[in-house]
Amino acid sequence: MTHAIAAPADRADRADQTGPAGLEARLGDPLDPANPLGHAAVVAADERGEILAAGEEMLDACGLNAEFVPRSLGGRFERADRLAETVRAVFRRDVTLGLGYGITNFVAAAPVWASGDAGQRAWLARLLLGNRRAAAAYTELRHGNDFTRNELTALPAAPGFVVDGRKELVNNAERADAVVLFARTGDGPGSRSHSHLLVDMTALPAGRRRYLPRFPTAGVRGCLLGGIEFAGCPVPGDALLGERGGAMETVLKAFQVTRAVLPGVVVGALDTQLRTALSFAGRRVLYGGTVADLPNARSALAGAFLDLLVCDALSTVGARALHLCPAETSVLTAAVKYLVPKILREASYDLSVLVGARSYLREGPYAIFEKMMRDLPLVTFAHANAAVCQATIIPQLPRLAARGWPRAEPPPDALFDLGAGLPPLDFGRLAINARGADGLSAMLAVAADDADPRVAASAARLAAELARLRRRCRDLPARDRTVLASRAAFDLCERYIVLLAAAACIGVRRNGTGFRAEPDWLVGALARLEARLGRRERVPADIEARLTAELSARFDDHLTFDLYARRLAG
Amino acid sequence: MPDASTVPSERAIREWLIERVAFYAERAPDTVDPDAQIVELGLDSVYALNLCGDVEDEFGLEVEPTLGWDHPTVNAITAFLLGELGHR
Repeated sequence: MTHAIAAPADRADRADQTGPAGLEARLGDPLDPANPLGHAAVVAADERGEILAAGEEMLDACGLNAEFVPRSLGGRFERADRLAETVRAVFRRDVTLGLGYGITNFVAAAPVWASGDAGQRAWLARLLLGNRRAAAAYTELRHGNDFTRNELTALPAAPGFVVDGRKELVNNAERADAVVLFARTGDGPGSRSHSHLLVDMTALPAGRRRYLPRFPTAGVRGCLLGGIEFAGCPVPGDALLGERGGAMETVLKAFQVTRAVLPGVVVGALDTQLRTALSFAGRRVLYGGTVADLPNARSALAGAFLDLLVCDALSTVGARALHLCPAETSVLTAAVKYLVPKILREASYDLSVLVGARSYLREGPYAIFEKMMRDLPLVTFAHANAAVCQATIIPQLPRLAARGWPRAEPPPDALFDLGAGLPPLDFGRLAINARGADGLSAMLAVAADDADPRVAASAARLAAELARLRRRCRDLPARDRTVLASRAAFDLCERYIVLLAAAACIGVRRNGTGFRAEPDWLVGALARLEARLGRRERVPADIEARLTAELSARFDDHLTFDLYARRLAG
Repeated sequence: MPDASTVPSERAIREWLIERVAFYAERAPDTVDPDAQIVELGLDSVYALNLCGDVEDEFGLEVEPTLGWDHPTVNAITAFLLGELGHR
């Protein structure tokens, strides 16, 4: 087997207790019933509707928040792909902990890193590095993702603002010392009427703000989803974050980073589900053999493995693009946030069919599977739902078709070479519109000449699909370029996103080493993606057999199922 | 360098913009009020970003994608473009 990818970075991480390997070691053996951070403890905390206290203590001790704070401000955040891979270790164990302790802070911090002044950035950095929390207060349930209709107001009143209104579904609302508040500061109907305020909650008059009761949820039951209601609450003038009226623009830039990272970390949940399903399939005896011996079960397991690799490739390339092609990431990160949660959820469902009744039990060795199945759907609508991600791309399709797709140069190899260094992530270079630029999809034409005939044939079909999309998107009806876009426009968008995923896989394999450089996973991944475009061709049997062997070997050797094949605890 | 004669007239810019807004809003150009907020005509948030591409293709002028946010009516965009085109 060729799964051992002994990149120098892996060894460095083992010495450095803060990297992915260090975090994994602290999490310990998931199957040890006595491990306070093991599956049994995670499931028990979920049953109680609590975030895992021992998990929060461990993350405090290793200073996870530093992953979200730029190195220039004293933290460890330098690379979006490394951030995703590091925090993925927490999501492999407990989605609730990963969101409720970690990613929530990063979502709140991104607008501050993107638009805050030096004092605001330093203040939030100190707060996070001191293991305190930040909350992102955007949602008003009446308006959902329609941010420009948000009603909470912050009206100028010497010496600052007076805030009135409420925010709902705010993670950690009640225990966050810093809140990033998306507030209406102008009467106009457009996109310049909202501003961000960075609010020090400890300094507000208690009588002017009230915390709302927790919102009970189906998954991530331990997350402290609450809300805040402000009533004539004074906020100092220096709380204004970025330009007045600039919040929509900041959102469309800064959240490109979080929308690439969040799906990338949640890949860890499918890793655990797949591992649990493999454990089940290897032990469960039916018809005189194990479930793992049944051809249909083997196909399901290999399919989930391929889906996981596709999700990792797309989210990793999306994260690396933030550094290398920031002009193009308004489209690419929306594609990541649309497709990765969708594939993860579907793969989770497919595995649940294999695991059967035990995928529904809330106790016993497979209860972690059931918990993750409940947790995963959150990612499809949290932090920009699927339709909003498509709506970010759809109005850009005609220009992509006219300018980008016909004459794009392939992106630099470093976009796909997971071991290659990256230039710093500059929030100021992220653009809210790609202006028709898309280098990634050019990889389809590149791979149409691949030395492996199966890769070449698949890539040629995908390149032809891009040409068909080009004809249809160039002349997209006017209505489809607005909020009234039809189902047909959403379908075109979905097909384009699938092509971007294929292009990401192609690039990762061409620039990979070890397992990543082999054609098997790519041929399988492209077959899975082509199935999403309506092609009814199964993953070839010989490839499926080799992927199943790889999967079994990684299971036995305690290696992750993602592109990195890292050593796990236990 | 283009000379002054290549700069389109205020009227030509306004009529072209009215045509584009009418195209997206799927309404007759003579129903587009050049003083109305384009967001009220259906060019909401990310959809208003379309206009920057049209402007770039039509006038060969690079503008911020937020053009339609900062200059929220046909007349406001016209005045802005006239200034930009006159200065290049």
